Amino acid sequence: MIGSLRSRLLLLTVAGMTLVLAVFALAMDAAVDRSLMGGFDAALDATARMLAAEVEQKDGKIEAGFGGEEVDMSAFNRPERPEYYELWDEDGQVLARSPSLGAGDLPRGAASLDTPAFEALALPDGRPGRSVTFVFQPKVEQEDRRSQSPVVAKRATLVVARETADIDAKRSAFRWLLGSAAAGTILLTLLVAALVVRQGLRPLDRLAAQIAAIREERLDTAIPPDGMPREMTPIVQRLNDLLRRLEEAFQRERAFTADAAHELRTPLAGIRATLEVALSRAREPEEYQGALRESVEIITHMQTIVSDLLMLARLEGGQVPLRPEPVPLRQEVERLWRPLAGQAEKRAVRFASNVPAGLTVAADRELLAMAVSNLLANAAEYTNDGGRIEISGRAAGGKIELAFSNTACCLSAEQAQHVFERFWRGDAARAAGVHCGLGLALVERAVAVLGGEATAAVSPDGVFTVRLVLPPASSQAPE
Amino acid sequence: MRVLVVEDYPPLQRAVAKGLREAGFAVDATGDGEEGLWYATTNDYDVIVLDLMLPGLDGLAILKRLRSDGRPAHVLILTAKDTVADRVRGLDLGADDYLVKPFALEELLARVRALARRAYRAKNPCLEIGDLRIETTKQRVYRGRESVHLTPREYALLEYLAMRAGETVSRTDIWEHVYEFTSEADSNVVDVYIAYLRRKLERPGKPPLIHTVRGRGYSLGAAP
Repeated sequence: MIGSLRSRLLLLTVAGMTLVLAVFALAMDAAVDRSLMGGFDAALDATARMLAAEVEQKDGKIEAGFGGEEVDMSAFNRPERPEYYELWDEDGQVLARSPSLGAGDLPRGAASLDTPAFEALALPDGRPGRSVTFVFQPKVEQEDRRSQSPVVAKRATLVVARETADIDAKRSAFRWLLGSAAAGTILLTLLVAALVVRQGLRPLDRLAAQIAAIREERLDTAIPPDGMPREMTPIVQRLNDLLRRLEEAFQRERAFTADAAHELRTPLAGIRATLEVALSRAREPEEYQGALRESVEIITHMQTIVSDLLMLARLEGGQVPLRPEPVPLRQEVERLWRPLAGQAEKRAVRFASNVPAGLTVAADRELLAMAVSNLLANAAEYTNDGGRIEISGRAAGGKIELAFSNTACCLSAEQAQHVFERFWRGDAARAAGVHCGLGLALVERAVAVLGGEATAAVSPDGVFTVRLVLPPASSQAPE
Repeated sequence: MRVLVVEDYPPLQRAVAKGLREAGFAVDATGDGEEGLWYATTNDYDVIVLDLMLPGLDGLAILKRLRSDGRPAHVLILTAKDTVADRVRGLDLGADDYLVKPFALEELLARVRALARRAYRAKNPCLEIGDLRIETTKQRVYRGRESVHLTPREYALLEYLAMRAGETVSRTDIWEHVYEFTSEADSNVVDVYIAYLRRKLERPGKPPLIHTVRGRGYSLGAAP
């Protein structure tokens, strides 16, 4: 049951109130019922005892003297809405019955001596009523007691019945009163609760209005937490945190777009200027050839940027299908170094691979190859003539570590923290004008997609190292 | 007219420098911010073409330093950043003009020429001294109604003298503003080109245009 908080609060309040009222009403009804019934039964009992006092035992026989002046028997004699009584002796012989009963009988309840039993019944004329069954020993006549033979006290059973219309009417009047009071209370509760809920939820409306006012280009506007109820402060804080993170992400994206535009506009300007200069006057064929060659080089460079950008976007969008397979690292590094080896040898760059044979990772071969060849190319590009490139690998702590080092790095330790940022590049790279600063960003993303992590560091003697931590091949990870 | 190009993308730097040289400017070029600032503060440039994103020192920092040093060179910012905020920031820091990459070479040359004219307070692209007329946009020279054909170097020398018409211009000034000092180390080359110009411009029976001011230099004008 989600829906609106407002209706939920209202519903819960009203349901709770109804439940409380229902329990209260039932208890009240039971108490009133007991009190009414108690009064009725006490009166019935008194009538029964009064009649019983008129019953005597004389000469071993029970006689009912109901006709006397002492007892008002009019209620039993009236033709309309009469009351009833019936008297039996021990043997079940009817000794007396009220005239209203005619020849009929009243049902006898399960009473014992001196403990009357009350029960509801339908009176002989059909009205609802209640009866008391009273078992007693009638008093013994005096002269009888003076005779020599011992007197045996006999028992008699008296049933008196009377209609309950009176208390039924009182009871239903009370129930009606109780019901309407409860209904009124619930209605009032609904009204008050609606007001209270509206008042209580006002800060939410205010927050909603503040959130609605936030524009995509103005994400740095934090929602002021003051004036908010204490319960909402954590929500506002989380929202502000979220906004800050969003703003950071947006800023990165904006910076990236601007950088991408810059990185593409500059070579484009290069091609245009080169060709326009070439066309500005009649030239020797060699000059045209030079301009065309330069343009082709720039286009090749742009093509790299564009495909790197595309790859980066795919990696970040999680659109690269992975086909993990065990990749032996030593062979892979050697294979990927081969195309770079010739150029490096000419510059007297020494290359050493200390990756142990048998070290294997489970990874998508193409993606891993892209990361490794980018790192090798980067190392070859930035190491000095006569410098040294070293690749080392080991299994440690259930992970595979692969490190790429090259000498003659001119970055500071602080700058080394930026090498994985898109389009960031050190001054040396800028001056060379070749690298567009996407290579290491690609490496970082690719390694992340492979489930690993890439870090970069510079030692005080200028050795630049990129360390990859990769998950091992599940089966044959050498320990 | 002497121009400094500070641009870190080598192919673009080469093309712009070549285009400007062929248009008759003396050009120095560098791809490094620090070096650019050094060039700009040690030489007297008429126009500086400045990229914004540079290694070492970025373009706006260079601009700020130049302006706080009171350097009069006209600065044309050349950049891939094209938002209004970027342009306003550059112009507010004292740039004279702004060109977004990629650009047409023609436009770059026209803007540099306009800035160079402004350096000599000449707004009219057509310079007239007596019956000598120089159309700087088309780089054409007329003596009366007669067209005079000049080589790019001769033209650059004449234009520089014409911009400062009436003033005495020293050989050093000419050497610094017209020829790339890396290409010709000999200041005699100025005298040689003055001689070429005289041969092409002077007409018998008309008053001379180019006057030698002994020990100080040359002056262009109807009268000495």
